[in-house]
Parts: sequence; C-alpha cells; structure tokens
Amino acid sequence: MKLFGSRCDCVLAIVRKDFLLNLRRRATFAAMMMFALTATASLSLSTGGALLDEKFLAAILWVVIFFAAGAGLAGTFDDEAQAGTLPTLKLYGDAQAILFGKMSVAFLSLVALSTFILPIFLILFDVGVEKIFLLLATVLLGLIGLAAAGTLTAALTTSAAVKGGLFPILLFPVTLPIFLPAIRLTEISFTPAQVDSSLLVVILAFDAILILASSILYDYL
Amino acid sequence: MNKIIFLLTAVIVAAIIFFVPPIKGLGELAKIIFFHVPTAWVAVVAFFSSAFFAAKFLRTKNFSFDELSARAAKLGFVFVLLSTVSGAIFSKLTWGAYWNWDPRQTTIFVLILIYGAYLTLRAAVTDEKVRAKVSAVYSLLSVLTVPFLVFVLPRMYFSLHPSPINSSGVEMDSEVVIVLIAAVIDATLIFVRLMRR
Repeated sequence: MKLFGSRCDCVLAIVRKDFLLNLRRRATFAAMMMFALTATASLSLSTGGALLDEKFLAAILWVVIFFAAGAGLAGTFDDEAQAGTLPTLKLYGDAQAILFGKMSVAFLSLVALSTFILPIFLILFDVGVEKIFLLLATVLLGLIGLAAAGTLTAALTTSAAVKGGLFPILLFPVTLPIFLPAIRLTEISFTPAQVDSSLLVVILAFDAILILASSILYDYL
Repeated sequence: MNKIIFLLTAVIVAAIIFFVPPIKGLGELAKIIFFHVPTAWVAVVAFFSSAFFAAKFLRTKNFSFDELSARAAKLGFVFVLLSTVSGAIFSKLTWGAYWNWDPRQTTIFVLILIYGAYLTLRAAVTDEKVRAKVSAVYSLLSVLTVPFLVFVLPRMYFSLHPSPINSSGVEMDSEVVIVLIAAVIDATLIFVRLMRR
C-alpha cells in the first residue's frame, strides 16, 4: 500500500513537473492547438459550407484529433532526452511512475485539445449533435487509448533521427482499433440512429490492453 | 531443401495450369488465388515470427534474435505487397473494383502499414542496441491489433470476400483445395528457407 502510495506521489510529481514545463514553454501545446484549428478551418473552408455526410464529418474530426495529437505528443520525452536526465528521473521514480506520469500529462493535453477543437468543429461544420453524452464518452475513451499508445510511441521515437514524420506512422496502425469504432460512434452521435454499445466496449477494452501493454513494454526501453 | 522447394513449386505451377479446373463462377483468371492465398498466409506467419523473435530478443538480449525479427519483417513486407497486389487483381475480376476497404483488405493494408512503420523505425534509429530494443517493443505492440482485425473488424463492416469455409464445410472443388494447401505449404517452405539464408 505504501509502495503504491509512493508510486502515486512520483506520478503526481512528474505530472506537476511536465505541467509547469509546458506552462513555461508553451510552444508544443500552442502548436498542437494551432494545428487542430488550421486543419479544421482549412477543411471547412475548402468544403465551402457544403452539406457533408455524418460519416465523413466524424472521420474528419478524428483525423484532425489524431494528427494534432501527433504534433503534441511526439516530443513527450524530448526534454529528458535532450538534457540527458531520463536516467536521473528513473532513479527518483521507477520506470512505471515515469510512464504513467507522462501518460497522464498526454491525456490531459488531449482533453484540453478536444475541449478547444470540438466546439469549433461543430460550429464551423454546422453539425447538429443528437447524442452529446455519447459523443463526449467516445472522445474521452478514444483519447485514453491515444494517450497510452502515444506515450509509448513517443518513447520509441526519442532516439530516432526523423521524429516528426515517424510518430504518426508508428501510432496509426496500433490505434486503428480505437480509431474505427470511435468514428462509427461519433457518426451515430450526429444522427438519431440507435447506439451500438458494443463499440464502446471495444474501445474500452482496447484502452485497457494498450495501457497494460505500454506498462509491460516500457520496462524494456 | 532448395531442390524440394523447386520441385514442389514446379509441380504446383503445372497443376494450376493443367490439372485444376476453372474456379466455379470465376473462370480461369481467378486462379490468381493460388498465388494470393499463400502469400497472404506467409505475410501473417512472418508477422507473428517477427513478434516471436522480438520477444525472444527482449528476454535474452541476444542480437541474433533481433536480426531474425528484422528479416521476418522484411520478408513479410515483400509477401504482404505481393498478396495485396494479387488480391486487388482478384477483387477487380470478381467484384469489379480493385479496392473497396473490405474487412480483409483493411486487415492486409494494416499489415502493410505495420511492416512499413517497423522498417521505417529501424531505418531511423542509428544506434544498434537502441534500434533492436525499440523495434522489438514496436513489433510486440503492433501484435495487439490482431484480435481487433480478426474478431471485431469483420463484425463492423460487410464483407464481399469469399469465405471458402462455412458452417456447411468447404465450398471448393477437392482439386482446388489440394493444390491450394500444397501452395500454402510451398510458400511457407520458401519463407523458412529465406529466413535461414
């Protein structure tokens, strides 16, 4: 119990450290937000107010979230990698505390991103939401998986020569099991169609699998 | 082993041309399945082989397992490309379109993406030790998509892909089944031989 408590303290300390660093140097966060805004605005502008199919709209929303998340999460371990402080950090807290601390920061960043871009998306594309709670649940569950897979992927690309382009290439195939059901559920939330709750279970199950796998595999890095 | 593979391949090619009747309702051109099915099978075998050797590397830190994992991925990438192209041709012959994101097509395309991502990751990391570690971890992470691709995806999307085995048994001529099984064994042997290179 004490061990769990001290590990939670480490996780919280890492969340606090990254939060303060992000506040001090807002470039990454701003880039993520601006990427989402630019992508959404350019798509809305280029479709010129045309009446778009709900499936297409749902796909656009998730593509924007995915690539904006990529812009924000790719550098999750960059500070430590550049300063060479990751081994020291591992001395303070164990690898699991670092992973879950980073994952929590990634999740919070993605929640902030979605809080920012979702209303803008709905306004710019003039989307009527029929089931707001389904939409919110889908986005939240999708973000959990993106944060889990994104954090491990960011750890993998830390030593890579071409981080920016590599991150979405690595992330997309492993998050596809979240991506496809999330698009379907988002589409349903825009229409009066019946909710397929099994898809929520699929996302939830895959979120759990990704968190567990990240936790196991991060120890080998 | 080379002689056995060469002989088996020659016998299978001769059987496809002279022995196997045109496939029911699909005609002579659809015999491309004798190439498509074995290459798709090897692509999947290579995927699991790569992950298996990746796990062995992470456990033992023996770099020969990393080499085997990378070799399986490279071979898998070639086989998955061959399978995708032959599958697209088969799709055009039978459904009238090269591509329509059928669940099976999605699965094979995800395999291309995973193999491509894995090989790109290896190319992007210069340090040998780090490269072996990160690519092994990615190989194992990507295996997690398999249950989704096999069990969930086919439930989400309607499939036009022929399903030769259903509740009433195998829906193919016995000659076709025999040659197809032989072709799958032959392709597997070719893969094993190339892994031992």
